[in-house]
Amino acid sequence: MSKTGLATRLYRGEAGLNIIGKRKVWFGVVGVIVLLALASFFTRGFTAGIEFKGGTEITVPASVGTLSDVQKAVGEEVAKIGPEAKVSTGQRLGGSTPSYKVRTTPMSNEQANQIREALAQKYGISTDDISSSVVSGAWGQQVTQKALTSLAIFLALVTVFLIVRFEWRMAVAALASLAFDLIAAAAVYSLVGFEVSPSTVIGFLTILGFALYDVVVVFDKVQENTRSITGSSTQTYAEAANLAVNQTLMRSINTGLVALLPVGGLLFIGAGLLGAGTLKDLGLVLFIGMGTAVYSSIFFATPVLVTLKELEPRIATHTQRVLARRAAGPAKAAAPGTPAQKATEPEMAGAAAPRPGARPAGRKPAGGKAGGGKGVRPGAPKRR
Amino acid sequence: MAPPQGQMRPGRQLAVLAGLFVVLYLLVFFTSGASGSFTDRLHPRLGLDLVGGMRMTLVAQGKAPSAKEMEQARQIIEARVNGTGVAEAEVVTESDTNIVVSIPGSNTADLEDVGQPAQMFFRKVLNVTEDYSEALKAATATPSPSTSASANPSATPSTSASASPSASTGGQGGGAAASATPSASASPAASASTSPTASAKPLSQTQVATLDEVKKKVGENAYKAAEALTAPVDLQTDPTAATQFEKFSTLTAQEVAVLPAKIQFNVPQVGCEALSKRPVGSISDKNAQAVACSGTTKEFLDVAKVSGTDIGSAQAVPPNGQTAEWIVSLKFKGDGQDKWTNLTKESVNKTGATCEQAALGDKGNCRVAVVLDNTIISDPQIIEVLTSDSTIQGNFTADTASDLANKLNYGALPVTFVANEAVHVTATLGQAQLRAGLLAAGIGMLLVAIYAFFYYRLLGSVIFLSLILSGLLTFGALVWLGRTMGFTLTLAGIAGFIVSLGVAADSFVIYFERLKDEIREGRTPRSGVQRAWVRARRTIITANTVTVMAAVVLYLFSAGAVKGFAFALGLATVLDLLVVFLFRHPIMAMFARTKAFMSPRVSGLGRVLHQQNEDEDSAAGEPRRYRAKEA
Repeated sequence: MSKTGLATRLYRGEAGLNIIGKRKVWFGVVGVIVLLALASFFTRGFTAGIEFKGGTEITVPASVGTLSDVQKAVGEEVAKIGPEAKVSTGQRLGGSTPSYKVRTTPMSNEQANQIREALAQKYGISTDDISSSVVSGAWGQQVTQKALTSLAIFLALVTVFLIVRFEWRMAVAALASLAFDLIAAAAVYSLVGFEVSPSTVIGFLTILGFALYDVVVVFDKVQENTRSITGSSTQTYAEAANLAVNQTLMRSINTGLVALLPVGGLLFIGAGLLGAGTLKDLGLVLFIGMGTAVYSSIFFATPVLVTLKELEPRIATHTQRVLARRAAGPAKAAAPGTPAQKATEPEMAGAAAPRPGARPAGRKPAGGKAGGGKGVRPGAPKRR
Repeated sequence: MAPPQGQMRPGRQLAVLAGLFVVLYLLVFFTSGASGSFTDRLHPRLGLDLVGGMRMTLVAQGKAPSAKEMEQARQIIEARVNGTGVAEAEVVTESDTNIVVSIPGSNTADLEDVGQPAQMFFRKVLNVTEDYSEALKAATATPSPSTSASANPSATPSTSASASPSASTGGQGGGAAASATPSASASPAASASTSPTASAKPLSQTQVATLDEVKKKVGENAYKAAEALTAPVDLQTDPTAATQFEKFSTLTAQEVAVLPAKIQFNVPQVGCEALSKRPVGSISDKNAQAVACSGTTKEFLDVAKVSGTDIGSAQAVPPNGQTAEWIVSLKFKGDGQDKWTNLTKESVNKTGATCEQAALGDKGNCRVAVVLDNTIISDPQIIEVLTSDSTIQGNFTADTASDLANKLNYGALPVTFVANEAVHVTATLGQAQLRAGLLAAGIGMLLVAIYAFFYYRLLGSVIFLSLILSGLLTFGALVWLGRTMGFTLTLAGIAGFIVSLGVAADSFVIYFERLKDEIREGRTPRSGVQRAWVRARRTIITANTVTVMAAVVLYLFSAGAVKGFAFALGLATVLDLLVVFLFRHPIMAMFARTKAFMSPRVSGLGRVLHQQNEDEDSAAGEPRRYRAKEA
């Protein structure tokens, strides 16, 4: 009865988690992940899809026999075309119309057609029942190159946008968190050995949009909370930022969940029903990326921002002032601990208690300049 | 009590939304080619990965061609693809190097060659004959006298002006004659040899193999007889030819291509249809004589003495003081001019390979055919020896003149396109993918709705309704854009829409969380809704801007399936903004006026209040560094 669970506090945006204060821990976590990722990039590398190496995929309905039969049959046909051509992998795809997908070394479209015809003849089915996909290595390169171009342009645009909308430190922090998202998502791909296809690359780009979106919401709140922070000496920048993270925490978790839900559906269907292809590739990368994006918007972007901000002379002196004042304050006024908190309680209740139908007078001037409102000020400093 | 931001008039915004709906669906049902039954008009354009078909992406090799060159290359490739006889092929350029060929339905058409560089040559017309193959097919064995116009094909063989050799180039802008001043031509002496001089073109290894097959197919005797022909068979004087060479009409375009040029020309059963469908590059050997069609006239052409790469520039010139009609001016570059001058000299002086009487223009001079791939795009008579810039005149209109000029300019595009990606999707697989995509979308929507109801209780219905509304708007836009802009929904596009569900869901999370803050602070629902809206609006717009930015960049700079994904994501995000502004907010404002709004059981917002006091007590026991509370 007396204890409220973390969930409830989260729900009310009052979790009061000290995220900024522990930022060394988060930086440590990020550092470890990045090191792990880099190690994995160099030792394990990535599993490239056929789009990057070039190759052919032939999909045959499962009704014709077993996978090994089909693989053998394809192998025979492939051998007729070129002595050095061969089957690389075979895979069974589930769903309402199960099928086998067999991959071979690169060949021309014409040759793929020959194989389709030969297989159709062999199994007594129509060539229309056999799908094929011929991709040259150059294609993957082109897609990747275009993706990288898009990435550069997007980052440039976003940087400008963030600088205009917020400030350059926020832009840097946001970009740092984006970089972390990419590295973390790429690390999962490298470590688990998921196949990287052009769809994956595209997914990465989409993650950027999403991650940024998340960061923007948090920073929006940080900006709001710290707009006139130097005007008073009650709250440091770090504290105001921490408050913002806490206030948007539920939203971040909510958003993360709510965005992961449809993507999870996508992944489930893509992997479960179709087995492979665009849906699975996109679903997987988005799922992983959105996960890391939620983490980094809370535990990385804002800590980086605060670190950067504390390097700013204006903020640094302000922080010192607040801390100095605070050090002097409690010694004179009241010893920290229960009595002081007890004392604030009625005030708090008065400010925040529901008064249906009435507008709390104290809140009104707070308007957009949160953090400066009189009603809350007792809360943060006195609890220290 | 009304906030200064303005009195909410939810009705007005809802009316705007309703208006938008009506307009969109009116567009869907009644404009831009809407036809068929009610359901037919509601079909979005589905991509080949959803209905089955073949898609091939051709990528230009080497330096990226200019936009004009790309367009010309696209036209050439389109012509080649259509030449293979496939239906409904769609050929579009994508980005600055790619050309995407999409063919719905199933086929195994061999499109391997369509990306080969376009070859354009100037060849002297040595002889002409009408294409009798159609008539022969129609009248099977007996050649009807009415169809065979002639012992002399040259003398206006058919009624259609475009088919008349002197007027030439049906469809390409009428007859053409080079240069302004007609020169009194010398030496009309039809010189000795009647048989085309140079022999059949050199045969490559693979062609030899098929030539043997072709010989077998038409019969050794028939082939020998065909080889012995020295002139096009006149069916009137030699009715037996109809049966003698009957087998030739069964040859495919590929098989026709391996026949020596002489036989292609002389055997009447070899028609223009087959000739124009010959594989790309069939007559690209400039040192071999060739056969090509102009309209329904078969022309026997000399070796190529000038090629398209010799052209400096070509330009459509509108009527001015000197010319009464549209003409095409032509400049050659470097030694191209010398080659051209020599060719015109040859044509006027009747030297070199002999032009048959039938092939001469009305001034009695040889004509020169401009051959692009397998077809003649123009075959003007050479009126005088041309030592400098030349003009081609005919009954050109502005369109036909610029069309010819474009072809001359870019037709000899020395760019090779390589099929970097070719995907065949069977109809079954397409259906399976469509089903899976829709299922994934359905599941995504359901999960979001469940979550919304769980978390926000009855307010979830607002979310649910806005998702439905977004969905309907998106669908309408999809159908309409499919018809007007040619936007096709692909699997990647469906994925884009699914991802956008997250964005849509997020915008209400932002709004509701803000609202919760306001309520917690003790604001009344009415003013809380208004204030939460003002603050959330900013965040939502910022966040959606980022998503739209990502989508636009992706759309502009990416290739392949990504474009569909980006378009869907962008479209859905913009429509989501619309729904947020015109539906969610007004509905919330209306909802806030009801009593039930604050009930914990109904809205999920009341819970914030419900435990407030309790929290105040418990909070005291917990050491917190910062108090997380709306400030």
